[in-house]
Amino acid sequence: MEYKDYYKVLGVERTASADEIKKAYRKLVRQYHPDISKHKDADAKTKEINEAYDVLGDAEKRAAYDELGRGYRPGQEFRPPPDWGSQFDVNGAEANDFFADLFAHVGRRGRTGGAGMGGGFRMAGEDIHAAIAIDLRDAYQGASRTVTLRVPEQDAAGRTVTRDKTLSVTIPKGITPGQQLRMKGQGHPGVKGGPAGDLYLEVQLNPDARYRLEGTNVYENVPVAPWEAALGASISVPTPSGPVEVTVPPGSQSGRKLRLKGRGIPAAQPGDLYLILDVVLPPASSDRARELYQAMARDLAFNPRERIGA
Amino acid sequence: MVIQQSLSGVLLDDVALTLEELARACDVEPDWVVRHVHAGVLGSQPEVNVQVTGWRFRSIDLVRARRLLTVERDFDANEDLAALVVDMADEIRRLRARMHVLGIKLA
Repeated sequence: MEYKDYYKVLGVERTASADEIKKAYRKLVRQYHPDISKHKDADAKTKEINEAYDVLGDAEKRAAYDELGRGYRPGQEFRPPPDWGSQFDVNGAEANDFFADLFAHVGRRGRTGGAGMGGGFRMAGEDIHAAIAIDLRDAYQGASRTVTLRVPEQDAAGRTVTRDKTLSVTIPKGITPGQQLRMKGQGHPGVKGGPAGDLYLEVQLNPDARYRLEGTNVYENVPVAPWEAALGASISVPTPSGPVEVTVPPGSQSGRKLRLKGRGIPAAQPGDLYLILDVVLPPASSDRARELYQAMARDLAFNPRERIGA
Repeated sequence: MVIQQSLSGVLLDDVALTLEELARACDVEPDWVVRHVHAGVLGSQPEVNVQVTGWRFRSIDLVRARRLLTVERDFDANEDLAALVVDMADEIRRLRARMHVLGIKLA
């Protein structure tokens, strides 16, 4: 694995005090917070900052990191000693290789405090939190996705090593972003015979070019011809659950919403699908088309700006 | 890639977490959860008057608890301030989702 300079990530000197580190961390967390940052790598940057602070914000971990990192440069191949770090814990699947390998070792301190530091306590393994991205179609139909986690494990000699664990996860139909899937016993292994932690997967939705989601309701723009909007029509519309025949009421304008009840995300309480009409003009690219537009201009006496007083 | 295991997770909105399980999932003591439920900043279920052993928490509660915790830890914020920050962030997300639905792009 490559060595990472956590001091550089936080923009502080190696001699920085705990207070300076905290100050630098808070400033960066605010700067790159995914909810407010315009930075395109805000998510990745936030993870990097958190990872750095997880180590440098903890006096013990910082001391160990300093000890190990002596003489290493960022990007350089890094090999921790085989028995190193037995008293540290790692916080979940979001941690990257360097961090996971550095701190994924036996003797998790856990929230009961100190029990894992070589003592004889039986302790449950920590839970792992990770995210899984699905497409809208998966929310409609259900799907299977693979997830690779880097987890600590004891080797034959009783040493703790990290390894990649690949799971195939079934995504149930009707799931919405933000919901959590819990996989019992798939978290970190327990200590001294304690039960393994759980794996929590938060569902996220990949952006979709055609559909937009709000809760369990789905929105779709549907282009219609002027005569379909004006005269009404029966049109075929592709939807996430397959094509449907829809009646466009006569006199429709762009922006009119047609609600298809129960055709949103098929959750316990199914959402609705909203079709938003978008009147598209045929191009006046032929003599005949131009003639038709000219006839409309002449015969319809239509003033689209009447409402604004023109 | 070799798939080592096939799993079907339990959706937290079908089978909810107990107080102990939520505390463990957030890596906090159960007291932290109790304090936040009593302060009215955590818990989407109107079951606060039920005995704590009967409390149940769903996806939305787990996500919120972890976000409250992050703000409290990162900024040494008290629970009310953390709740205000998380509520405001939720509102920003809701408004962004609305804008997206309406086809409005942020500059």
